[in-house]
Amino acid sequence: MTNDHLRTSRRGLFLGAAALATAPRLVFASTEAETRHAADAPIEDAARLSDRIQPYGPHQAGITTPRPANGMIASFHVLADNPADLERLFRRLTDRIIVLTKGGPVPELDPKLPPSDSGILGPVLTPDALTVTVGLGASLFEDRPWLQPAKPRALVRMAQFRNDALIADLCHGDLVIQLCANTQDTVIHALRDIVKSIPDQLVLKWAQAGNVPVISPPPGAPPESARNLLGFRDGSANPDSADASLMDTVVWVGPANDEPDWATGGSYMAVRIIRNNVERWDRTPLLEQERIFGRTKITGAPLDHPHGTEAMAPDFAADPHGKVTPLDSHIRMANPRTPASKANLILRRPFNYVNGVLKNGQLDQGLLFICWQADIEKGFITVQRRLDGEPLEEYIKPVGGGYFFALPGFAEGGDDFLGRTLIAALSPTSQDSSQSGLSTSQAQN
Amino acid sequence: MRMFALTAVAGLLAATGSQAAETLDLVGPVSEYKLFVSEQTDLLVEDTEAFVAAVNSGDVEKAKALFAPTRQHYEMIEPIAELFSDLDVAIDSRADDYEKAEADPDFPGFHRIEYGLWEHNSTEGLTPVADQLLANVQDLQGRIESLPFPPEVVVGGAAVLMEEVAATKISGEEDRYSHTDLWDFKGNFDGSQKIVELVKPLIADQDPAFVRQVDANFAVIDTTLAKYEEGEGYVTYDKLTEQDRVKLAAAVNALAEDLSTLRGKLGLD
Repeated sequence: MTNDHLRTSRRGLFLGAAALATAPRLVFASTEAETRHAADAPIEDAARLSDRIQPYGPHQAGITTPRPANGMIASFHVLADNPADLERLFRRLTDRIIVLTKGGPVPELDPKLPPSDSGILGPVLTPDALTVTVGLGASLFEDRPWLQPAKPRALVRMAQFRNDALIADLCHGDLVIQLCANTQDTVIHALRDIVKSIPDQLVLKWAQAGNVPVISPPPGAPPESARNLLGFRDGSANPDSADASLMDTVVWVGPANDEPDWATGGSYMAVRIIRNNVERWDRTPLLEQERIFGRTKITGAPLDHPHGTEAMAPDFAADPHGKVTPLDSHIRMANPRTPASKANLILRRPFNYVNGVLKNGQLDQGLLFICWQADIEKGFITVQRRLDGEPLEEYIKPVGGGYFFALPGFAEGGDDFLGRTLIAALSPTSQDSSQSGLSTSQAQN
Repeated sequence: MRMFALTAVAGLLAATGSQAAETLDLVGPVSEYKLFVSEQTDLLVEDTEAFVAAVNSGDVEKAKALFAPTRQHYEMIEPIAELFSDLDVAIDSRADDYEKAEADPDFPGFHRIEYGLWEHNSTEGLTPVADQLLANVQDLQGRIESLPFPPEVVVGGAAVLMEEVAATKISGEEDRYSHTDLWDFKGNFDGSQKIVELVKPLIADQDPAFVRQVDANFAVIDTTLAKYEEGEGYVTYDKLTEQDRVKLAAAVNALAEDLSTLRGKLGLD
């Protein structure tokens, strides 16, 4: 049996192509769906264990890539005392990313030794649409004098917002890894592989897994955004991640962003672990829920087009007093849709999480919020400040997360590796470093 | 001896070595380890006698002072001591091993006494616990004396000690009332390093990179722990900086990975 015959349906997971999209216009251009073999069992899912997402390119995968059903954020302390250590870490991470996203047989060792692989995916790794996305936290730079001058301009430690109740053990980190895949097993496998492969340079700090619900749309139905655990569609107003030039403005760091040269092609990442008070939410009248979000619950249509679709844009200008869409509704505060607020667009790519039971006996569930932008101050921080005081705060409590800078991508072959441009910028011989005084700080270290 | 060892190991790695050569090869290290364990057990009994005497005489300060150094002997020989799981539970279990935690009448041993000494600053009600601890430690001594040391347990013990640190020590939860965790760390590390030193000649030439890496990580631990020495022992665990805790954690995780291959490298199952 070839990989092509393997299906996620063995775990009861049915993933429609439409569910892979984070935005209505973002259709997963999978040709896989059409190449099924006639003798295959009829299944509704479009996701396959053989799905492979290339890790190579000017940008890391896992950012504008259509979101698969499962994800995880793992945050680490980094051990690196000099540029050579950091390069070694980046190269080791690159090696694991290439192996894990490609799949293939697991190396067999002498059975007297511990196996090289956890074995949870069996003897042949399946790529399963795995993406591994690496971001760096402000502390990585700030705690290392030789790295300080290379810190991305807008990278800061996440500060507390009004409604936050941050738990120190769930915040920040020197380095973050986002893992996404069709199945949870592939995500867990990748995390265990990385933890086992790099024990001397990465010490796990916190991790949060999540998933998004899978749907089974009727043929020809437009894609819909996945629902969060409050039952609302999440991501309806996302910018079109299939529009490369729009992503160049919204998501990717480029010449306009006044960042160090090495950061070109990277992106800022905001992660927030947001507890949802789901019991209370479920006891809230539907109309109030809809007023709080500014959308209808069933279709996600804006309140001024209640019989429309989530893809329709609300016309706030026609409703200046918030009679239809309350002025303090979530979508209106987050994105007032004025010419000025275009500068604050973000690309959301969250997962839902379910962690068991809190001390008070209530469910510990919520949103593993993840968003991407070319400037974190203009993006997430500005949007979240606007949301301070929104009525939704009664039902949500951010408890963790952090801000990170996702490294630019890397090319296949040619000795390229994740973070190469940063390492090059630290070299005393590079032009960048002579300009920024890095060679001096290195000499002192 | 060196040449002999090398030949034996080369044979083992090729998986064609004779069982006799294999066993013979480890006879020296294992009997030397047995001697080490026996010495540490004697010290454990001796120190426990003094510790128990302090508890029974109501001398809280003296008992507190003797708590960490006494335990250290136990931590050093843990791979052997925990072969006797009944005694390990009686001597070294923690409150969270019991449903009612500290309030559980079954909560015994070092940590029950630690709880009384530090949380209540008192030896009240501890005499039966202390007497039982001494009896158990003496029992352990007798059982270890008559125990044949299986080579795979001895060699595997190096990694077991690192797993101990990684799973229950690095979080500071082992000695949660006294915060004397760094003493336990030291015991676990020394116990592990002892095993590595004993078998090192068998792998040094075969796998120099492995030995270098293991030595380097032990050195990181030594240097880091040395910063926290105070008097005969260590400062309390809360004095450990986050940076040093991470440094220790990384070295421990790396050693746990590396030493997990030690049995296999020596041809043991």
